[in-house]
Amino acid sequence: MKMGIKARERISNSIIYTILTILSFVWLLPIAWLIMSSLRAEPGAYTTYIIPKGWTLSNYTKLFTETELFNFPRWFANTLFVACVSCVITTMLTLMVAYTYSRLRFRSRKGLMNMSLVLGMFPGFMSMIAIYHFMKLMGLDQSLAALIMVYSGGAALKYYVAKGFFDTIPRSLDEAALIDGATRNVVFFKIILPNSMPIVTYTAIEAFIAPWVDFIFVSVIMKDNYDNYTVALGLFRMLERENIYNYFTQFCAGAVLVAVPITLLFIKIQKFYVGGVVGGAVKG
Amino acid sequence: MTQSKAKKRTPAVFGWFSSLAEVFREGDMWTRLSALIMGLGQLKRGQVIKGLLLMAFEALFIWFQTGFGWQYLKDFGTLGTNAQARVWDEAAQIFRRVPGDNSMLILLFSVLTLATFIPFIAIWVINMKSALYVQKQAEKGVKPNSFVEDVKTFLDERFHITLLTLPMLTLVLFTVLPIVFMILIAFTNFDKNHQPPGSLFTWVGMTNVTDVFWGDQLKSQTFFGILGWTLVWAVFATFTNYIFGMILAMMINKKGIRFKKMWRTIFVVTIAVPQFVSLLLVSKMFTDTGVVNVLLQQWGLMSGPIPFLTDPTLARILVIVVNLWVGIPYTMLMTTGILMNIPADLYESAAIDGAGPVRQFISITLPYMIFVTAPQMITTFVGNINNFNVIYLLTTGGPLTLDYYQAGKTDLLVTWLYKLTVNEQNYSLASTIGIFIFLIVGSISLVVYNMTGSVKKEDQFQ
Amino acid sequence: MKKLLSLVLAIALVAGMSTCAMADAVTLKLWGAQEDQALLGELVEAFKAENADVEWDISLGVVGEPDAKTRYLEDPAAAADVFAFANDQLMDLVNADALYEVTRNKDAIVAANSAGSIESATLNDTLYGYPMTADNGYFLYYDKSVLTEEDVKTLDGILAKANEAGKKVFMDVSNGWYIASFFMGAGCELGMDENGNQTCDFNNAAGVAAGEAIRAFCADPAFLTGDDSVLQGGMGETICAGVSGTWNADAMMDKLGDNYAACKLPTFTCAGEQVQMGSFIGTKVVGVNTQTEFPVEAMMLAEYITNEAAQVKRFEQRAMGPSNVNAAASEAVQENLALAALAAQSAHGTSQKLVLGTYWTPAEAFGLEMENKSTADMQTLLDSMVAQITAK
Repeated sequence: MKMGIKARERISNSIIYTILTILSFVWLLPIAWLIMSSLRAEPGAYTTYIIPKGWTLSNYTKLFTETELFNFPRWFANTLFVACVSCVITTMLTLMVAYTYSRLRFRSRKGLMNMSLVLGMFPGFMSMIAIYHFMKLMGLDQSLAALIMVYSGGAALKYYVAKGFFDTIPRSLDEAALIDGATRNVVFFKIILPNSMPIVTYTAIEAFIAPWVDFIFVSVIMKDNYDNYTVALGLFRMLERENIYNYFTQFCAGAVLVAVPITLLFIKIQKFYVGGVVGGAVKG
Repeated sequence: MTQSKAKKRTPAVFGWFSSLAEVFREGDMWTRLSALIMGLGQLKRGQVIKGLLLMAFEALFIWFQTGFGWQYLKDFGTLGTNAQARVWDEAAQIFRRVPGDNSMLILLFSVLTLATFIPFIAIWVINMKSALYVQKQAEKGVKPNSFVEDVKTFLDERFHITLLTLPMLTLVLFTVLPIVFMILIAFTNFDKNHQPPGSLFTWVGMTNVTDVFWGDQLKSQTFFGILGWTLVWAVFATFTNYIFGMILAMMINKKGIRFKKMWRTIFVVTIAVPQFVSLLLVSKMFTDTGVVNVLLQQWGLMSGPIPFLTDPTLARILVIVVNLWVGIPYTMLMTTGILMNIPADLYESAAIDGAGPVRQFISITLPYMIFVTAPQMITTFVGNINNFNVIYLLTTGGPLTLDYYQAGKTDLLVTWLYKLTVNEQNYSLASTIGIFIFLIVGSISLVVYNMTGSVKKEDQFQ
Repeated sequence: MKKLLSLVLAIALVAGMSTCAMADAVTLKLWGAQEDQALLGELVEAFKAENADVEWDISLGVVGEPDAKTRYLEDPAAAADVFAFANDQLMDLVNADALYEVTRNKDAIVAANSAGSIESATLNDTLYGYPMTADNGYFLYYDKSVLTEEDVKTLDGILAKANEAGKKVFMDVSNGWYIASFFMGAGCELGMDENGNQTCDFNNAAGVAAGEAIRAFCADPAFLTGDDSVLQGGMGETICAGVSGTWNADAMMDKLGDNYAACKLPTFTCAGEQVQMGSFIGTKVVGVNTQTEFPVEAMMLAEYITNEAAQVKRFEQRAMGPSNVNAAASEAVQENLALAALAAQSAHGTSQKLVLGTYWTPAEAFGLEMENKSTADMQTLLDSMVAQITAK
């Protein structure tokens, strides 16, 4: 009997190993193809074979040396800058809103929460032209500052995961502090924030990734200002019909370079990320 | 429930007006004059900084309206009457242009200008009430709050105002005003034949709305066809991701499975590659000459290519399957932690009752997970209705069909409206569709979100 | 305030005080494709040197010809004073009153450029831009080791040889740009009515015959479709002939080496007869923004970057086909296989300027039906395609 359970356990485990291995293969296949393409010596977006005939690192080095047409280092720096700043701003705004809805009670709270929820459902690109003209009014068109504002502008709508997390922090903690004479301001910074690292991380990562992957907003905001492009928009230019044959492999190399920092970030703080989403999800 | 809310609200609004009337009834000259010159009452009673700030605010408002707002607002009713004109310049030998009105900017900046009235009126009312308040305090001989004391309340009992002001400002600027702008465009004829700066557009009433629903057979057929697929897609994309992601998480979490961290990392890597790269590559893999078809033919499994992207049914299945590739890692990450939270004794007692793993999953895991993650699921569902990236990058809405107006079989409402604006500059039609997406999605999420247990009971957990 | 200011300024200008603006530097912005930036930079420097009496402040912005209209309409005031666009955007730009008429030096410009390129920038007898290149069209690339000059004269001949050799013939049929070559070859027309709506007769008898020819082509075992990258990847390996344009010339030479060859499109069998395939011919045109503060100077610049010397330079550096008659007649241009093929094809081409935005999607949808080997009634298919193309 005992052996039977163990044997069954072993069989089911090996089935799971098999499934996981197959799935990993499926999941990694496009990534592997991306990496192989980035190392391919022959140009072109499509080949009739799968494994490259020649291998080279020049697609990577060219990104940094041949910057006349595609100024990859500059775009990379732009994106990094925008990502860092908008990450800080977005995180702050989101946490401020989430904390308010979670902890403070005031008259229009419920109405504001519902309104924010509905507004968040609006397809963003419909608002691009309006936003562009507002930016222009402020004299910020085609600037990185405008881009930062655009990426941080929706922060007030993405409150509910963080709010759910704050809901799980026992109220008795802040009540005790209030009795001790602390203001709500102090409660937020001294009690809530230190207890919320997972959700801070989660919010920050989400905000950090956005500038790396958006290619629609940035094209409307930047228009002809090539120097202020982000990586995504710049890489997209490599796929235009005049460029794709010569630059596709460089496009892949650029994509790998974008993916590397994000991957490292994810691996490093996977635990926090999990904790952040879960905490939020538990109480919505 | 709604009734009691309504009952509560009416007196509130009524009270708001009556308290304003009270200011004029009971206020002295200084207080009443504050209606014209904001901050006068406060200045008189010794709240110098507050009074000056209010005055500065009013001055700023008037400066803005006269310097900027009025030039647009005055044309709001017509959206402009002077088209750009041509005048022959004999000396230069050219047709010089005399700039006309720009209907789009008139509409956009009118919305902005109108919006500035809301904070102005709100602050004006606050100004009036506080003027009466300080007047009464002074009559009682109480010294009014100093500025520093006032500021301090914003860090404590009025902390929510401090925290919300900036986020709400961005919300209004980046979301609310653009939405209002878009809604208004739906009632104009802003399309390729009415493009600023050369031509004006104007109000046309409900024409676009009736077109989409019954006026124009092709457009309404397209709208309802795409709406149907959008909903089907959202349901499948959400639930398949959810179930399979959870199963994957359970497999990795199962006792006795080793290298848990490695497995998770493998799946997480796919999140890190930007979608515009990974989806582009995936769509290349599934073309007639792509890797998948080449391999299938090399292995002798197929004699010709499978039309993954050009057959409507296959394309629809493909986008749902590829969406699994995109979404499962997220669900896996998200559910991992929750799964570990499910009390083990639930499973033990179920096992004693003779429930197998499938039975346990259906009667224990699934209900628990759904209860806990309901809000997350709504977000995902809505996200899928508006899932621009996956559809646009994978199929660009194709395969296109002659049954639809300028759309394909995997087009969602969002991608269709994106194409209408980019390819055709048909902003009015796109806006009309945008409003409907918004109405559908907004009402679904509002109802469901407020129905979920976790929202109703939010206070119980704290 | 800015608007008010520009209004006042414009009125002042019209009143004949056009010299008052000359006191300060002339500020102009020029849009061109990223690949063109170096060339444009050179041209601008030369332009400044030649007109040294004026103080110039000319900046370059990166907006490629295909995106010019979209970027322009988003914010005409921020758009470049001088910009290059593909001539199929002409209609929309003129509708938006975006372009200054070419009125200065018009006769010289008309005389210097080929009649086709001038026509491509003309609407209602008004010239709206300065032709820059005449190479936005397509023709046939082929592998000399598989196909002879005789084979490539007819589509049937190409397909027969390709099948013999086990190779493919590439054409992106699910693309309105390419598929039109069958219809226009059969004598169908795209046009525009007085309300600015598209007219299209692809569903007449000739159109149905052309449709059947497309169906037969797609059913051939040697037929291959896909995007540019398929052609670039497969040419010389699995593909022996493909329809594409000059932007692929480098890639084709690269893949085919000594076997590289190009010629006009073949004839195809339409209702039992051999008919020459038509094509769209597009040009790239430089326009002057109506919102510019310095129209005269902007026109000088536009004219300069499209003159004979500039077009020769553009050909030398970027291998773009000149619209300038003298530049096109030069030996170097004549020897360029791809440009020679394009020139031969353009005798059978139709200008793209009357094609509106509503055309592309339905035409692509029809092409897809063909690629999917639809057996539906051709007349019905074409009727619904035309209904969508001509929708208001």
